[in-house]
Parts: sequence; structure tokens; C-alpha cells
Amino acid sequence: MRNRLKVLRAERDWSQGDLAERLEVSRQSVNAIETGKYDPSLPLAFRIADLFGLPIEEIFLKD
Amino acid sequence: MAMNPAQRRYIGRMIPVSIAYVAAIFLASSLVPNGSPATPVTVAVALVPGLAVVGFIWAMGSYLFELKDEYVRLLEVRKALIATALTLGVCATWGILEIYTNVPRLSIFWVFPIWCVGLAIGGLVNRLTLGAGGGCP
Repeated sequence: MRNRLKVLRAERDWSQGDLAERLEVSRQSVNAIETGKYDPSLPLAFRIADLFGLPIEEIFLKD
Repeated sequence: MAMNPAQRRYIGRMIPVSIAYVAAIFLASSLVPNGSPATPVTVAVALVPGLAVVGFIWAMGSYLFELKDEYVRLLEVRKALIATALTLGVCATWGILEIYTNVPRLSIFWVFPIWCVGLAIGGLVNRLTLGAGGGCP
């Protein structure tokens, strides 16, 4: 699954650490999601969507 | 990298359990000579290091349950699965060798150390495949 996390983060001028802190996860989690090595659980995907104020499908895209 | 609360609690448990393990090994080694008959006293003394090993396992299990970060938990679970596969593979293969040949007998004492080596290998596999080893050793 692809995602727009890196772009959305860059638009807000957040580092991976900033985003990790806001999501209460590790920086390596953010990095793994951004690079497509890990697809987050539905609860975490909803937390990400809430944080960016976007629907999940505008952040996570089907391959 | 800063430790998360689960990692801090894990370290906080592992340090006293490790001290207890080393102390129990020294105590058992000094009080019970190798090959002593199994009496209630020798068994009781020799069981103490075993309880410390149970403490290691308890600390590791608690860490997995308390981890809030799902990705780090995935890394740890992968490590544990790799360690379990390695331990089962080594022990079963060696056991068959023992049945059919006169290779030296592997004491079951080594099962837990082999599993711990497997954890380290699991961390390496994580690093090679996902770019991150995991949280705690």
C-alpha cells in the first residue's frame, strides 16, 4: 500500500520525529510506514487521518 | 534513541533478574557439587537459577504485552518467532543426531541460551529485511 505521509508531513514542515511524537509512536514506525515497509493497523491509520484532518483514503492509496 | 516506557520497565526488570541469576549460579555452584544426588536440599538450591531464568522469560513476555508501539512490537514478535524456529530446528536436529550417532549429548540447559542467540539473529534479519532491528535485546 502506498501513502502520502511524507508529502503531508513535509507540507507541515514536520520531521519524522515530530510526527512520531504527535502519533505517540517511535520514529522508526513513522519511517517504516513512510517507506512502505509497514502498513499501519486500522486504529493507527485513523489516528494518522485525524491528525492530518483527512479521510484515510486520501492518505493511504491502493497499489 | 530514547527508550519508551515499556523498554524502561524491561531494563528495570532484567537488571535485578540478571543479578539474581548470577548470584544463584554462584550459590548453587558453591553449595552443590556437580553430579550430586538429587535430594530435596540439592534440588531446592539448583532450582533457584531456574527460577531466575523464568524471571527472564517473564520480563520478555511483559515487554511484548506492554509495548504500545505496534511496529516495534512487530519487530519483537518477528525476533521471537525466528528465535523459536532456530531453537526448534537446532534441538530437533541435534536430538535426531543423538539417536543415530554418538555425537555429544546436548544438555537441555542450552535451550534457553540458543533461543537468546536466535533473538540476536532475529534482530539481524529484521535489520536486513526491514532496516530496523527492534527494541530490546
